[in-house]
Amino acid sequence: MAISRLPSDAFEPVHRGKVKEETFFRPSLTYWQDVRRRLKKNKMAMIGLFTIIIIVLVSIIGPVLAPYSYSEMDWSATNKPPSAKHWFGTDNLGRDLFVRVLYGARISLIVGIFASLINLTIGVIYGGISGFVGGWLDNLMMRIVDILYGIPSLIYVILLMVILEPGLQNILITLGVAYWLGMARIVRGQILTLKEQDYVLAARVIGVSWWRILLKHLIPNSMGPIIVTVTLSIPSAIFTEAFLSFIGLGVRAPMASWGVLASDGLSTLQVYPFQLIIPAIAICITMLAFNFLGDGLRDALDPRMRK
Amino acid sequence: MVDKLLEVEDLRTSFFTYAGEVKAVRGVSLHVNKGEAVGIVGESGCGKSVTALSIMRLIPSPPGKIVTGSVSLYGKDLLKLPIKAMQKIRGKEMGMIFQDPMTSLNPVLSIGQQIGEVLAFHEGLKGKDAANRSVELLKMVGIPSPEERLRQYPHHFSGGMRQRVMIAMALACSPKLLIADEPTTALDVTIQAQIIELMNDLRERLDTSIILITHDLGVVAKLCTRVIVMYAGQIIEQGSTDEIFYNPKHPYTMGLLKSVPRLDEIEKRKLVPIAGHPPDLISSLKGCAFNPRCEYAMKICLRETPEIMDVGPDHKARCWLINKERANEDDVIQGQKNVK
Amino acid sequence: MKGCYTGMGTDKRSLVNVKNLKKYFQMPRGTILGENVYLQAVDDVSFHIDEGETLGLVGESGCGKTTCGRTMVRLYEPTSGHMYFEGQDIFKLSSKEMIPVKQKMQMIFQDPYSSLNPRMTVSDIIGEPLEVHSLITNRRERMERIYELLNLVGLTREHANRYPHEFSGGQCQRIGIARALAVDPKFIICDEPISALDVSIQAQVVNLLEELQEQFKLTYLFIAHDLAMVKHISVRIAVMYLGKVVELADKLDLYDNPLHPYTQALLSAIPIPDPDVERQRQRIILEGEVPTPINPPRGCRFKTRCKYVKPECAEEPPLKDVGGGHMVACHLI
Repeated sequence: MAISRLPSDAFEPVHRGKVKEETFFRPSLTYWQDVRRRLKKNKMAMIGLFTIIIIVLVSIIGPVLAPYSYSEMDWSATNKPPSAKHWFGTDNLGRDLFVRVLYGARISLIVGIFASLINLTIGVIYGGISGFVGGWLDNLMMRIVDILYGIPSLIYVILLMVILEPGLQNILITLGVAYWLGMARIVRGQILTLKEQDYVLAARVIGVSWWRILLKHLIPNSMGPIIVTVTLSIPSAIFTEAFLSFIGLGVRAPMASWGVLASDGLSTLQVYPFQLIIPAIAICITMLAFNFLGDGLRDALDPRMRK
Repeated sequence: MVDKLLEVEDLRTSFFTYAGEVKAVRGVSLHVNKGEAVGIVGESGCGKSVTALSIMRLIPSPPGKIVTGSVSLYGKDLLKLPIKAMQKIRGKEMGMIFQDPMTSLNPVLSIGQQIGEVLAFHEGLKGKDAANRSVELLKMVGIPSPEERLRQYPHHFSGGMRQRVMIAMALACSPKLLIADEPTTALDVTIQAQIIELMNDLRERLDTSIILITHDLGVVAKLCTRVIVMYAGQIIEQGSTDEIFYNPKHPYTMGLLKSVPRLDEIEKRKLVPIAGHPPDLISSLKGCAFNPRCEYAMKICLRETPEIMDVGPDHKARCWLINKERANEDDVIQGQKNVK
Repeated sequence: MKGCYTGMGTDKRSLVNVKNLKKYFQMPRGTILGENVYLQAVDDVSFHIDEGETLGLVGESGCGKTTCGRTMVRLYEPTSGHMYFEGQDIFKLSSKEMIPVKQKMQMIFQDPYSSLNPRMTVSDIIGEPLEVHSLITNRRERMERIYELLNLVGLTREHANRYPHEFSGGQCQRIGIARALAVDPKFIICDEPISALDVSIQAQVVNLLEELQEQFKLTYLFIAHDLAMVKHISVRIAVMYLGKVVELADKLDLYDNPLHPYTQALLSAIPIPDPDVERQRQRIILEGEVPTPINPPRGCRFKTRCKYVKPECAEEPPLKDVGGGHMVACHLI
């Protein structure tokens, strides 16, 4: 019999005090550590992130190290194909395309990031007020958003650009003004759902002021979708800027933006296709990188994915 | 000899997550006889639902996987069947109903279409035949004016009515076994009473075996003939309902019975909760899984996992206390001294 | 002389006195010019709770028990009625005047996870009420008070810097209780505090609530659908159906002698964990489902499911005392 193999003290009782409440089931990860872990596991998002970092670094350092400036013309070397001397070749004025693409990256990133920050600010304030106050004000504010949403944003971006002088500053203003609608809707939706959460009710029962509820409870918990929306709005801002510059409403020569480069390259497409293809590829890679990162962030931040 | 309908042998199911392997079911062996209602009770995370899903082969994979074991229905090993054959068995031989009747029905199909789909797949019934059978089924589960109800969509039905529809669908092909995973947890008490009454009635009339998964001991006492108590992925006690309720052997079963208040008690009795929490199945468990919460824990409990053993006719338990009792009773201790 | 508590005015001994409380929610109209449609969540409910007592409030989902609790702490603005707390009608107070009242009335919620802010540590969660009501002056005092509260609910100081998702359901509920206790309240509304927990954990939390009640002389309104648990913890029980209190009595009185047909059915529907008892029990199975609280049945709300329905039931039955504080709203009595 199995019992006979047991040591003689086997059935002695184990003396212990009260069972303590100290067992932690789950590894101790804060929300953001958890997000980072999931993001790291997502290959596409990591590729996107690294691409973005490389683009940022190169666009900052590259022009400093390059032997040419973006506006320096060399009449002896116009329309040169890519070579060891000019990595991406030169344009019809003999300007080095590599340096110009790097400068374009600066402008694109500036536009993307600042336009997103502007629409973040407007969107969070507008959507926050709308969702938080609720009632008729919410109704009114959301109907205004609906009406603006009905107009294709490109139309009033173009209209605004025609009224304002083309230039970097005005592009930022235009994009900021045009793209906050989505952000406002998302923030409002978040606030509306969070407002009914038990922990917000608990805070109200305690007597926490509205201001503190907004700052401590509502905003921190809606950070996830806000970050995703910001990340995903960067590529669309970059693209809109490129488009505006392409049709001549954006950045003006000799400033180099990817849209300007593509526009310049278009006229010589049949003879020197690289002049169009290179900026086009730059736009594609940047947009893809931001979109990958944004999608990865969305998966990483989604609380439903939490185990 | 009673007719064994379903026999599960040493079933082990794990979920492979980022943090490691979660052993949700750790060697479960059970059987269900013909016409019998077996209750599986335990707390959330004890593996009772995973056991049921493993029997149906509905474990989401990845991350889940049935590691070893066999599930045989009439001697046919379901785990070895190809997917196609298994699909035929699901619904035809075994039906399942879930906790949430809201999400288990397709909102864009009418009830008639959804029942018709089951009938067409398993019985080849089409058109008028299918409609007639559907009406019959809805009548059987007590849905008034079934002809009109067939044309309606799930959102026209209340929670209790939806659960009735789910039962009708599960019984559409007169399966031998009905697995009900917390069928009344999402329902109100008066509706729960209706559904339990219905299931009891159906079992008697159709001779369907039932596996009822629940945490409500009252429901088990009402409906089941035999009870299986699970803890941390293992069966820790099983036996006839009377044995489990009146003569529990495992401290966990005793604890469960003592921790719930009874409606019919006159004197107020202090509830005796089970201290602590169920273990995390991701860490490897040493000894008896219940030992950190057990008031009778002994040294052996910390070191070795007890085997499940007979403590009476149709009553088994997995606890070292039973060994201790036996050791005291007979000459085993004597034997030990001799060995020394 | 229990009956006199429920009389008019504010009895000194009753800490809480709810009078004719109504809470209607306006629903979206069918057509623009159509009449306003109201969901009558709580319709003319009156009860009182004595100091140190636990009143159980039971009913099925949609009966208005949660709305009733939330309106009492003014999470919802009442449609009409009064709520006297320590003799003061708190429905008349401005939101500034409510702040000191909020220090005396607290609430515990059903879902242990969603009642704690996932981005705050346990010490921030428990510390928040201390800061809001300026109950502490410095950091050290704050931490000491937090440790003390954690200790009270059976947790330790090591738990203070953790986030809610690291805890089990039962532990989260303890944290919720610690937060409610932080302001040293007199009255706590427990809104289904155990229904989301496992059986073995439910008993832990109920025992904790009982111990705290004894230690701090707390008064509870215990809202739940589990009549067995409500009977265990309460002194008196109020049964709600479709926004109305249909029966209110001492718990043993209610169990031994249920007068309202709904209470009878509810009691008989609850399974008892005892196979022998279950085999002998006769169930009253109610037909049909609870009607919607939007346009509820006129007259007695239970008449659509009641098997004793009579012509008088078209009139609304008043909640009347049938002796010994046993109140029932039914024409049969």
